[in-house]
Amino acid sequence: MPRHKLIASESDVSIEVDEGKDNEFSLYYVEVEESSKKGKEKQTTRDGRRRRDKNGDVSRRRASERRTTEGGNKRAEKKHERRQKTARKEGEKHGKRQRRKNADEEEAEEESNKEKKNIKNERTKTLKLEDEKEKDVKKKRKKRVKNEEDDGSSGKTKQKDCHAMPMKEKEKKKKRKKPETTSESECKSESESESDSDSESKDNQAVGVLGSLTPEELEKLKEAVEERKKLIATLKGKPWPMKKKLVILRESQEFVEKYEGALGKGKGRKLYAYKVMMMKKWMKFQRDIENFKTACIPWEMKIKEIESHFGSSVASYFIFLRWMYGINMILFGLTFGLVMVPEALMGKPYGSLPRKTVPREEEASAMNFAVLWDFGGYARYSVLFYGYYNNQRAIGWLKFRMPLSYFLVGVGIVAYSYMVVIRTMARNANEEGGGDDTSFNFSWKTFTSWDYLIGNPETADNKFASITTSFKEAIVEEQESRKDDNIHLTRFLRVLANFLVLCCLAGSGYLIYFVVRRSQKFALAGLENYGWWERNEVNMVMSLLGMFCPMLFDVISTLENYHPRIALQWQLGRIFALFLGNLYTFIIALMDAIQLKRVEEDIVKKNMTIWQANLYNGTVPDNSTAPPVTVHPADVPRGPCWETMVGQEFVRLIISDTMTTYITLLIGDFLRAVLVRFLNNCWCWDLEYGFPSYSEFDVSGNVLGLIFNQGMIWMGAFYAPCLPALNLLRLHVSMYLQCWAVMCCNVPQERVFKASGSNNFYMAMLLVILFLSTLPAIYTIVSIPPSFDCGPFSGKNRMFDVIQETLETDFPPWFGKVFSYASNPGLVLPFLLLLVLAIYYLQSTSKTYKRVNMELKKKLQTQNEENKKKNKLAALKAANELEQAKKAGEQRSNSASDLGVNEESSNIDEAGEHRQAGQNGHFIHSSQTQHTQNSEPSVSSNHTTTRPPPSRGHTSSGHLPGHPQPQKNSHSNRR
Amino acid sequence: MSVCLHTCRVLSVSLPNSVVLRAFLTRSELKMVSPAIALAFLPLLLTLIIRYRYYFVLLYRAVLIRWVRDCLTGLSREERAFQYILTHATPGDAQSILDTFDHWCSTVEFISNIGPKKGKILDRLLQEHCPITVLELGTHCGYSTVRIARSLPIGARIYSIEMDERNAQVAEKIIRLAGFDEDMVELIVRPSDEVIPRLREDYGVERLDLVFMDHWKRCYLPDLQLLEGSGLLGEGTIILADNVIFPGAPNFLRHVRRSGLYEVRVHRATLEYIRGIRDGMAELTFLGVK
Repeated sequence: MPRHKLIASESDVSIEVDEGKDNEFSLYYVEVEESSKKGKEKQTTRDGRRRRDKNGDVSRRRASERRTTEGGNKRAEKKHERRQKTARKEGEKHGKRQRRKNADEEEAEEESNKEKKNIKNERTKTLKLEDEKEKDVKKKRKKRVKNEEDDGSSGKTKQKDCHAMPMKEKEKKKKRKKPETTSESECKSESESESDSDSESKDNQAVGVLGSLTPEELEKLKEAVEERKKLIATLKGKPWPMKKKLVILRESQEFVEKYEGALGKGKGRKLYAYKVMMMKKWMKFQRDIENFKTACIPWEMKIKEIESHFGSSVASYFIFLRWMYGINMILFGLTFGLVMVPEALMGKPYGSLPRKTVPREEEASAMNFAVLWDFGGYARYSVLFYGYYNNQRAIGWLKFRMPLSYFLVGVGIVAYSYMVVIRTMARNANEEGGGDDTSFNFSWKTFTSWDYLIGNPETADNKFASITTSFKEAIVEEQESRKDDNIHLTRFLRVLANFLVLCCLAGSGYLIYFVVRRSQKFALAGLENYGWWERNEVNMVMSLLGMFCPMLFDVISTLENYHPRIALQWQLGRIFALFLGNLYTFIIALMDAIQLKRVEEDIVKKNMTIWQANLYNGTVPDNSTAPPVTVHPADVPRGPCWETMVGQEFVRLIISDTMTTYITLLIGDFLRAVLVRFLNNCWCWDLEYGFPSYSEFDVSGNVLGLIFNQGMIWMGAFYAPCLPALNLLRLHVSMYLQCWAVMCCNVPQERVFKASGSNNFYMAMLLVILFLSTLPAIYTIVSIPPSFDCGPFSGKNRMFDVIQETLETDFPPWFGKVFSYASNPGLVLPFLLLLVLAIYYLQSTSKTYKRVNMELKKKLQTQNEENKKKNKLAALKAANELEQAKKAGEQRSNSASDLGVNEESSNIDEAGEHRQAGQNGHFIHSSQTQHTQNSEPSVSSNHTTTRPPPSRGHTSSGHLPGHPQPQKNSHSNRR
Repeated sequence: MSVCLHTCRVLSVSLPNSVVLRAFLTRSELKMVSPAIALAFLPLLLTLIIRYRYYFVLLYRAVLIRWVRDCLTGLSREERAFQYILTHATPGDAQSILDTFDHWCSTVEFISNIGPKKGKILDRLLQEHCPITVLELGTHCGYSTVRIARSLPIGARIYSIEMDERNAQVAEKIIRLAGFDEDMVELIVRPSDEVIPRLREDYGVERLDLVFMDHWKRCYLPDLQLLEGSGLLGEGTIILADNVIFPGAPNFLRHVRRSGLYEVRVHRATLEYIRGIRDGMAELTFLGVK
């Protein structure tokens, strides 16, 4: 599949490295600090430490050997032989240890097997380099050890040290003893073969004369450790392949861990190790919690995955869908908890009232599937619809005010939706309102797009893909902004496109009007005489038009040549108009139907009295005191109940809409993808690239489908309390289905673009739809009297009379009075006026704030630019001065070589500062830092070539920017 | 569905006229599908027509016009092309012949030559690599042969294979007209799968520097496998396959990507002489057998 092709090249880079490394660094630093705080070393412990250091070194060497053994079997055999030789030398004493050692090795191997296997070669290379370095260090140490052995005091101190050490370390030491001997023999041979004329060692000796041996050695170690740290810090920026980076990172971390441990001592060290361990655990815990949090957001992983593959525009649809799901959850909670469940639990049971019973003539077919599918029969006479509810004021032992609750829930749904939509819009506007953020688009993307919280390799892959996509988007946008074409032609084409779209809209409107008229004709003639096609014509035509017209618009919009995001908005607007037309034709047809039903209702009302009169006249003799005749509720004649009819229509519409969506998905996307995929092998042209190809995800159509669906819910929820439940079901299913479909049978759009800006556009459309859908609902509630024999408001003149009734009967009389005063136009009008004024005031203040914000931003930018200019000037100046200083320095260099050392020690802090400001890797001679304090790093680095770097170690060692402490400490330590 | 689409078209014509509509309605009530539903499919039809208009144009130009002209003139398409070139192009001038060919193909009739745009890719490849021995599968009218031959160095040789006898005659005339002799261009009139295994014995070819494929798209893969088996491909041999996206040779591409023998680049372009249909040329560099 093409998607795989797209990702294949990116997926082999795994990014697991970034898990909180920075924190570890800071930890290491603290460690160094502590170790240096301990101050100068005692003579007694020195040797032991050195020994330990050496052990660490050796064991490290061992580890490296171990790894190389993985590389090739031959080498492994050789090593093994060597090992066995040494073992023989050691004698039987070490036999047990040997075994233990092997066991350890096996463990280590198991661990390292878990690591990547394909990087062994490079690893061995780097190891060799490191080994050479370590050999140098060892050589020197060796010498010193020899000297001390001459003194003859070392053995005792060593033993003392051994006793002082905790038991664990003793064990470690024992383990390490064996390999140590082997490496010592190697070292000896090397030290003998190589001459001592190394410049570095000379320097060491020179400084060694000045100070004692131990600090120097310590510094040497620190230097190595800090070099590693520097390497770790700068690793990200190195132009190496990822594998190499991984290897080196792991190596250096291991190294640092070992030596940092070695630098600490005794009790403090243990405590410190404990602290570090706890820190690490705590950080891991935090990370886990973070992961858990993201895992708790429903469908987050799915959406992220989709985002990484299809760009943010497709993801925005799914985020919108999720948001919608949340809202529907609450709507469902309201209707289910406050209307349906109380009625089902506490209301009168089925069959107790005429409105709660299936009429006699329908009883035979009431349980048929076709009828139930149409929400007739038993489904119609249940809590799902308006007509089932009784007008009893209070039901059950709770005295639950059913009609009031029904009315308030209906109003509450709409009110809550308004609130949520407007609140979200305001929040989105907040996010947007900053204006010109696009000035450093690519820099932003380059330096800030990685998400360091990612702890899952798969997510990292996805993030990688999504960053790549976002770069593509940015580049496309940049290209779009720089394009300029023939303006007149594009204008003409745009006008033409809009004309065509208008024609299309008019055509579809006419078609729906025509169909609705026809369906009325059918309805008058009686639906039973017509087939399925005729009965469902309106729905069919509406869904078909809703499906095909957007495709046509899409084709037409290619004429316009807009930027994809703008094109998407146009497309949305057009489909919006289409859907709105469809919806309103539907509503108008429904209004007509309501009028028809009401006429029918009047007739039934008249018949009802006649029927009742007949009932009494026919069966009961006059003047009798017998109880009134009981008629089975199914036999009672009843009105058409237009409210239930409206609810039914909406439910049917939702169902057919859902079905159409799913079937289109299955046929248009899935079947097509299957055909393309599997017929491609035996077809005469390339199906994947050519004619049918895979489908793209249609963002605009889907979003609008969702929005209009929601509009229908808002309209119909008052008459069919089951609608939010149905919608919830639909959204849930479509979340999974569409996620699956998009990942399995769609291809990313050819022109990827980001849609973060269009979120508010969706919201605005939702708001419009909400308004437009509440209009007819409110109209019906306010202006049409409820049916006389069904629903919670039966018997009342208007539905909202229930409020008045409650006020009169359930509240104390003074409350009613207050209410009537409050609803006096004299009070309401000023209040409204006040509201308007407040809104106006708030709006103008927010505008002012926005402007001030923008100005601040501009100020910041200009300041920044000024600073840049200043810096440039300063740099130029400094460069000039440097040139002069260079000349002067060259003249001086012969005479003032001794001075250099003193100057160095005095200027170290400045050098450190400067290095923090500049690049990490460059070394700057201290005598020049006076002049180059404000200059840019490039200048200073140029200059360093003129003079050889001083040999002394720790000043040249790496420091993390922003961590000046260790350097100072080490400096003081040295003094 | 076809009935319904038909009614769509009829209706769209007769919509304003209510009398006709009424008559139509009374007729359609007998059927199952109502006209309104059929009419709802009209946008789909329009969408399909607009979206795939280039394919319809191609169908019209490559099939209908050819059929009509074949009936009218009694000559084959290639012969008509040759007549046109004979009357309009300068003999001995390869560029003139190519231009005339392009003109004929883009304005008069359609022949699937490599075309000027993809031809430029071919030219660039030839200039970069300067092949000495070139194998061309599918001469057709000789357009690509002329194109290759004119940018070859002296002493280079093209083996051009064409299956069809009549096409080969036309191709030979065109090649001679362009001024290339038999030393330069060797036209072999046989199916490619017969010729490739015998190239070494019959024609003394040791190594191919460039293979250009533009014959039946189904034969791309078997012929490539034959070439691999024959040992004529050396390290650095370029294989250029035209029309791998439209009409397309998916099996060929899949094999090439999976085998690991080649470095693959697909040059994206449009189909020759027709805008809007995507096509591509696959450039394979043989890496040698490991």
